[in-house]
Amino acid sequence: MTTKTGPPTVHTAQAAVVGAGPAGLAAALELARGGLDVLLLDEQPEPGGQYYRRPGPEVLRTAGDHRPEGANLISRVRESGVRLLTGHTVWGVDDDRRTLLAVDPDGTPVQVRADWIVAATGAYERSVPFPGWQLPGVVTPGLAQHMSAEGVRLGRRTVVAGSGPFLLPVACALLERGVRVVAVAEAGRPYAPGVAALGALRFPSRLVELASYFARLTRHGVRVHQDTVVAEAHGGDHVESATLVRFSDPGRVVARHEVDVLCVGYGFRPQSDLPQLFGCSMERDPVTGDTVPRLTPVGRSSVPHVYVVGEAAGVAGAPTAVARGRAAALDILAGCGRVPDHRTRRAAAVRMASLTRFTRLTSALYPSPADLVTALTRELPGHTLVCRCECVTADTLREAASAPGGSDVPAIKGDTRAGMGLCQARECGPALEALRTGGAGTGTVPARVPLRPLPVTAVLGFSDSSREDS
Amino acid sequence: MNTFDAVVIGAGVLGAATAFELARTGMSVLVLERGAPNREGSGTTAGNLHIQAVHTRRPGQEVPLDSEGLLPAQKAADTLWAEAEHRLEADLEVRRNGGFMVAETPEQREELYTKHVWEQRAGLNTELLDGDTARAALPLLGPTVTAATWCPHDGYANPLKAAPAYLAAANRLGTRIKAFTPVTGLERRGSGWRVYTPDGHHDAPVVINTAGPWISEVCALAGVDLRMAPVAIQMHVTARERPVLHHLVQHIGEGLSVKQVTAGNLLVGGGWPALGMNLQGRSTASVESLAGNMAQATRVLPFLAGLRLLRMWAGPLAATPDEMPVIGPVPGQAGLYVAGGTYAFTFAPLWGETLSRMVRGEPTRIDVSSFAPDRLTATCGSTDRTTSAHTEKGTAPC
Repeated sequence: MTTKTGPPTVHTAQAAVVGAGPAGLAAALELARGGLDVLLLDEQPEPGGQYYRRPGPEVLRTAGDHRPEGANLISRVRESGVRLLTGHTVWGVDDDRRTLLAVDPDGTPVQVRADWIVAATGAYERSVPFPGWQLPGVVTPGLAQHMSAEGVRLGRRTVVAGSGPFLLPVACALLERGVRVVAVAEAGRPYAPGVAALGALRFPSRLVELASYFARLTRHGVRVHQDTVVAEAHGGDHVESATLVRFSDPGRVVARHEVDVLCVGYGFRPQSDLPQLFGCSMERDPVTGDTVPRLTPVGRSSVPHVYVVGEAAGVAGAPTAVARGRAAALDILAGCGRVPDHRTRRAAAVRMASLTRFTRLTSALYPSPADLVTALTRELPGHTLVCRCECVTADTLREAASAPGGSDVPAIKGDTRAGMGLCQARECGPALEALRTGGAGTGTVPARVPLRPLPVTAVLGFSDSSREDS
Repeated sequence: MNTFDAVVIGAGVLGAATAFELARTGMSVLVLERGAPNREGSGTTAGNLHIQAVHTRRPGQEVPLDSEGLLPAQKAADTLWAEAEHRLEADLEVRRNGGFMVAETPEQREELYTKHVWEQRAGLNTELLDGDTARAALPLLGPTVTAATWCPHDGYANPLKAAPAYLAAANRLGTRIKAFTPVTGLERRGSGWRVYTPDGHHDAPVVINTAGPWISEVCALAGVDLRMAPVAIQMHVTARERPVLHHLVQHIGEGLSVKQVTAGNLLVGGGWPALGMNLQGRSTASVESLAGNMAQATRVLPFLAGLRLLRMWAGPLAATPDEMPVIGPVPGQAGLYVAGGTYAFTFAPLWGETLSRMVRGEPTRIDVSSFAPDRLTATCGSTDRTTSAHTEKGTAPC
């Protein structure tokens, strides 16, 4: 086996945008329109991110494009002169704290040097462990939607559970593929008419959308349980049934359903590792419990040339992601003396403000993720596998958290190996943080390098010889 | 309770082992730790048990260490690691499967021959192999390896388990452990010491400073200038693999150590310097060191190039100007002891026992007079602090 790799490919640009989802596409387009030389990197083979993920040709032919605005945005980006580098995984930041390190689809190391960095790295799905979540057949809503969009029927009977507005379209997508959705379980009570819900009246198009989801669910006889969560998935080598309980009274069983697919997720959380590697100042969002970068309203971080946009800046949905991408781009253009006209900037600011109001109203309808994770984690039976990669149970973690003398999140990880597996705590991170009930020390799982497991050969090109040339 | 027989400062593996050994003799012990136990050098180290003579220089190191001078301590440490799990009633994943020290260039081969002579003189069982014989014994070795020494005693213990097991055993014997409690003052009181923390003070006739990177800071609280410097080095780990490498592999001329840990991950280190030292938070690992370390690792063990890198991290340690360990009573400060420096993980069981015997006035297992702190101390103000001259130095993985 050869251990030689070529020297890194070096790309330079005025601006580098990481992530070609709605926010990254919008930012790249605006920057290119402003006359900057722009590189747009994405780890996927095609641009679009999760939200504007392009369906396969088969699906396009039979079902059409469910989000034509995505195709439109992508084609405008392609025409704008943006250099698009798909299949490029950004895995770190070089010692100069400026150069992006990536690997191309052939495994060749790549360096990207740019005056401005826009991190549009999107979000992870927010999972909360429960007994049986390691069983085959237990999936996340994001996976269920993606597979359904690709025309895959995930199973015969399912329950869609968790919290947040995303559960309804996912349930509808599963129905469309012929999966029998026995129930939707929502941890909160967002669909009870109340003061908070009335705010949605100011966004009538969203009310129409919501009503159409409910109409479809009702037509198929799907029961929507509120204040309900999955307490356990049962099964041998595959999920066979799920027990649903009251979120506010976990002792009370709501239902037990036979399923061959169980779809559970609690929305999304920002993927903010890259800003951390740039040294951006971070803070804990008290509502979500997530570690997020400290940003100005236009997405500028504490490191002046680094902007964070889209879901990576705080989960708020695709329209907000697009608006954030544009706002950051306009600010960068202003920063390099290419002042966009006043009306463009004003329009962007107004749009952002309106979307921010909508996001606030929506999130007020659902329980705060921080409270949800804390409450659900507290109830976990001791035998629950919290870290699926390294098979660490809740009992083991609780014991580590109460070590003589005190403990913190890195110490709990070290003691138990939780979060040290392939996913590097991307799945169990929030639960790990919640299982520690306070005290001094580090309360969060820090960003790791590489950001994704990386072929060893992809770093060899960065050793001495190639460095001296650069 | 505010009075103890001994206060140990630092809940890394050295502090933990010392607390355990003191508690075993019936002493009341308090361990004070500024952060979480085992979170700094002891929890971020490679966990190698270095029994054959070590390479003398690593990337960036200015002074070669006295490799021969360490051999008696390594031999003694081997004996103590062999019984550590039994004494602690805990699984530390101690594996003493032996290890190779490889050479590539003619100069490195010469070093290997010299080292082998020292080992024979010290009565340590090692074997000298040429490149082909070494490859026959370990087919994973690459074609650039021209010679190797084999030592059946080299091994590994899980650094994430060692200090916690020592602390738990000490705790069972009545030792009190206070984490997130930094020491803010050290004051002579009669024949003993008063140790100040933000939560109040504690009195003890004996204070043991095993504060790792903070060892000099803690000494300075007692008015002692200990010439040691914090240094951050880094480690790299691959995703899990089926068991492929059963031995420790090191390099005689360059900083390199590779082994497969019990969980299946391949751990690559060798004391490459991190990007910077951050004593307030986590130090940042350097991409240049990552690339350098992985380049030599894949040259010596080409199969590594087919694996996936999972994570890298940096950890601190405290280096002495001569790269040798430090252990013993601080001159002129009755009851104050220090221990730290080179290969602290390998030596932890030995230094714990040694300190405990010193405190009780008993003879130590080996002569440690050449590691005494007097070579590094002066009272504050009487000499220039020279620690800053050493901060750039890479040093040994423990």
